[in-house]
Amino acid sequence: MINLILVSHSEKLATGLKELLAEMAPDTPVLLAAGLADGSIGTDASLIEETMNELNDDGLILTDIGSATMNAELALELYSGDRNVHFVEAPLVEGAFLAAVLSGQSKTLDDIVTGVKAEFS
Amino acid sequence: MKLSTEEFRKALLKAAADLEHHKDELTDLDREIGDGDHGINMSRGFHAVQKELEAQEEYEDLGVLSKQVGMTLIKTVGGASGPLYGTAFVKFAGAFKGKREVEGAELAAAFKEATDGIKMRGKSEFGQKTMVDIWTPFYEALEQESDLNAALDQALADTKERVATKGRASYFGDATVGVQDPGALSSSLLLRSIVEVLS
Repeated sequence: MINLILVSHSEKLATGLKELLAEMAPDTPVLLAAGLADGSIGTDASLIEETMNELNDDGLILTDIGSATMNAELALELYSGDRNVHFVEAPLVEGAFLAAVLSGQSKTLDDIVTGVKAEFS
Repeated sequence: MKLSTEEFRKALLKAAADLEHHKDELTDLDREIGDGDHGINMSRGFHAVQKELEAQEEYEDLGVLSKQVGMTLIKTVGGASGPLYGTAFVKFAGAFKGKREVEGAELAAAFKEATDGIKMRGKSEFGQKTMVDIWTPFYEALEQESDLNAALDQALADTKERVATKGRASYFGDATVGVQDPGALSSSLLLRSIVEVLS
């Protein structure tokens, strides 16, 4: 099943979103790369990259604002693992909802990316 | 204009001291038109760079030095500045690879590549009241071999009067006119310290 990585400035926001997603798609693996190591607000490319190393299948990254996207794209450039990982630009909550449901239906990464893009761009 | 590995290291140490000195000013500006962390972020990142540079006096070449600085900034700055400044130095690393010193058109081209890296990472263009508004006139002045400090002065003055249309500041709209962009100011501090060591 395609894993989701939620990249947010706020750990609380990402944790809350993960809870929401579990109601709709309880089986979809959702990983978090949110907040800074000291618990403060922010995003960190090296944390995103470390989270990518925990994927148990291919993955889709969703981000909240500004630097979350920059750090996600940077992490993708730094990542040397063998999973296929994509970033898709979409509103975090709505995009993650759709992606989690599609992953729960065992769609491929390409199908999920196409589905999310079609809905939000 | 020539930049050597030793002088680049010195310039970065000077930049770290200058950014520390302007920490509160950067943070105050960012509080007005951003999320109020720019001074703290830059200080943290360049403090980490400073510690590394003090621990290692000799670098093989400009590329090795730039790569190390870029990766440190990516890991330690946070905010939007981490990936932006980090990308600039990673681009320097590519342009400076294997070179002990660089001059003239080659030096200008390296600064253009770094600027293009910032634009790519931030999906930004010149004129949006960001650090790009400082880096662009700077590499153009290097290309034309004109006065670099004068170019930075003019770039800062122009940037201050623009409306922010990119980044967090863009949410503040017209209120950004007349307020300096914190990333523009920190960029000018970094670039000025490099100007000082060009020979």
